[in-house]
Amino acid sequence: MVPDNKIELHIPSVMGYEKIAMECAASMAKKMGFTEDRIEDLKTAVAEACLNAIEHGNKMDTSTKVGITLTVEESRLQVSVKDEGKGINQVPTPSIESKIEGEDKPRGWGIFLIKNLVNEVTFEQDPEGGNVTKMVIYLEK
Amino acid sequence: MNKDIQVSISNKNDVSILNIKGDVTAITGETIEDAYQKVSTAGARKILLYFDKDGYINSGGIAILIGIASESRKKDQKIRITGLSSHFQKIFDMVGLTKYTDIFLTEELALKDF
Repeated sequence: MVPDNKIELHIPSVMGYEKIAMECAASMAKKMGFTEDRIEDLKTAVAEACLNAIEHGNKMDTSTKVGITLTVEESRLQVSVKDEGKGINQVPTPSIESKIEGEDKPRGWGIFLIKNLVNEVTFEQDPEGGNVTKMVIYLEK
Repeated sequence: MNKDIQVSISNKNDVSILNIKGDVTAITGETIEDAYQKVSTAGARKILLYFDKDGYINSGGIAILIGIASESRKKDQKIRITGLSSHFQKIFDMVGLTKYTDIFLTEELALKDF
């Protein structure tokens, strides 16, 4: 049973479905009284965590799902995004200069954005399988 | 054609304007790239990317824009941006895109800067 302060949803591992999770998190943050700016930060962070789970964790295997859990606390919202993958390699901090010069692929901004937009983030492997990105965003930045 | 995006091309003086309505993502990127290639092939040297204030932009979309910024440098084109929400202005600044292109609050200000 899901406690009153938790919302869970599952999305298919298909690009575009991250917007469902993003809008759900935004609705909850709005209900909690987050400012518009913080809601936008949260939306981008949740979308990027879901995209990583879809693309790198579940490798866009449509038989897999991405699970999103929103946990409401007194002055903060915790969002966990879980995939069914075997671990995502850590990526170096992206460099716009390298990407513009063509020395590096232009992609690879997801984790960078998450780290810069939420107050706390951890990337863990679930002992039962899959990767979990746990993000915490506070009402007051 | 991708239903999540519409890109139309217009011209003001010697500036080619790409009006981008909808999502900017890896999925919709090809539509944006095609429009950029079209104006580029036609000889455009000044290009304004006019975004939808309510549009969704993700890291895949940012990568597409970095690709365009990179190519435009090689072709000696000037790229300017307008129409972005304050959130995506912040994101573009965060990733460093503003080192290679300038963002303007209005189309008029962007056109004046070329």
